[in-house]
Amino acid sequence: MIEGRLVRLRAQEQSDAGALQRWMNDPEVAYFTSARYPMSLHAEEDWLAARAKNSYADGVRLAIETKDGRHIGRLALVETRMEDRKAELQITIGEKDCWSQGYGTDAVLTALRFAFACMNLHRVWLTTLEYNHRAVACYRKCGFVEEGRLRQEVFKDGRFWDFIIMGVLRDEFDALYGVVVETEASHA
Amino acid sequence: MLEGKLVRLRPLEMTDLDREYRWINDREVTRYLSARYPISRGEEAAWLREGTKNSFSEGPVLAIETKDGEHIGNVTLHNPDPDNRKAVLGIAIGEKQHWSGGYGTDAIITLLRFGFHQMALNRVSLHVFEFNERAIACYSKCGFVEEARLRDHYYGEGRYWDVLVMGILRHEFDRLYGGPAAAS
Repeated sequence: MIEGRLVRLRAQEQSDAGALQRWMNDPEVAYFTSARYPMSLHAEEDWLAARAKNSYADGVRLAIETKDGRHIGRLALVETRMEDRKAELQITIGEKDCWSQGYGTDAVLTALRFAFACMNLHRVWLTTLEYNHRAVACYRKCGFVEEGRLRQEVFKDGRFWDFIIMGVLRDEFDALYGVVVETEASHA
Repeated sequence: MLEGKLVRLRPLEMTDLDREYRWINDREVTRYLSARYPISRGEEAAWLREGTKNSFSEGPVLAIETKDGEHIGNVTLHNPDPDNRKAVLGIAIGEKQHWSGGYGTDAIITLLRFGFHQMALNRVSLHVFEFNERAIACYSKCGFVEEARLRDHYYGEGRYWDVLVMGILRHEFDRLYGGPAAAS
């Protein structure tokens, strides 16, 4: 378990397949993701089984739970590169009544602290669709800086859209939120 | 064969192995690529055998030849994406005496024409390390626009470097180099 203020991040289980499938097949959720084709429960179970293990090399895929145990979304640190010490962050809050409540921000901050303090990463980056203003505001709050705009990178709903690409470095996150956790040993 | 002004692009053959093996282990060449570790002849032969089939889903991987038939490098469109109609360009001129001879520029324009006019792509992008100034100038000349600067995205030679993302769209290519012929 990785504890945040509002959420905790835990390993995904096979029993999460139903929720993941429901979210990915929800057009209002998929509108903000790269998901395109309808996903069967069977395919979702296979996807989960193939990514059961979290590690630096395989990437980290986590369920987002509220503190009272409700499973509301997923978060991943993937495309890890050992030499470059970087990863791509992906997040979806699938339960729409939890949008704009601060859960996504807390999940991203918690994941960044894990990325920098536990995985020893140097950089975390992400991409988002140009119209996902709520996500961009959330990522800015978490310390991400807009690094560019990939023109016409994605085709969706009959036309091409730009991808905004953002990144945050360990030093920047450290200055904003602190990476090293104070322990009893550090006071000794 | 894809004919350019200075070069032609042809499929790679197993008989190219000696050159490919030499280039992929030449740090003056690979410091500009994502290739980092020494590659054995066996690995390189396996790549030539399995990794160089030309199709939309595999992406074209082609040898760059001068017009008098000297094989000087490779050029590719990898990660082809049919829904988003895009691919990523990669190029290496392995014969260093031919750097800055205009061959890379001509090879890129020739492959972009193929990508846009035969594969029906809408976008081609590429990644380039910030220290590869010769390449950045070449890509700009070809019509690529700088779209993003990924800070500290690459580690090599003892430090982090920025990576530039550059892109060109089909309508931009056509404006620079001409669109398809009108039906008669």
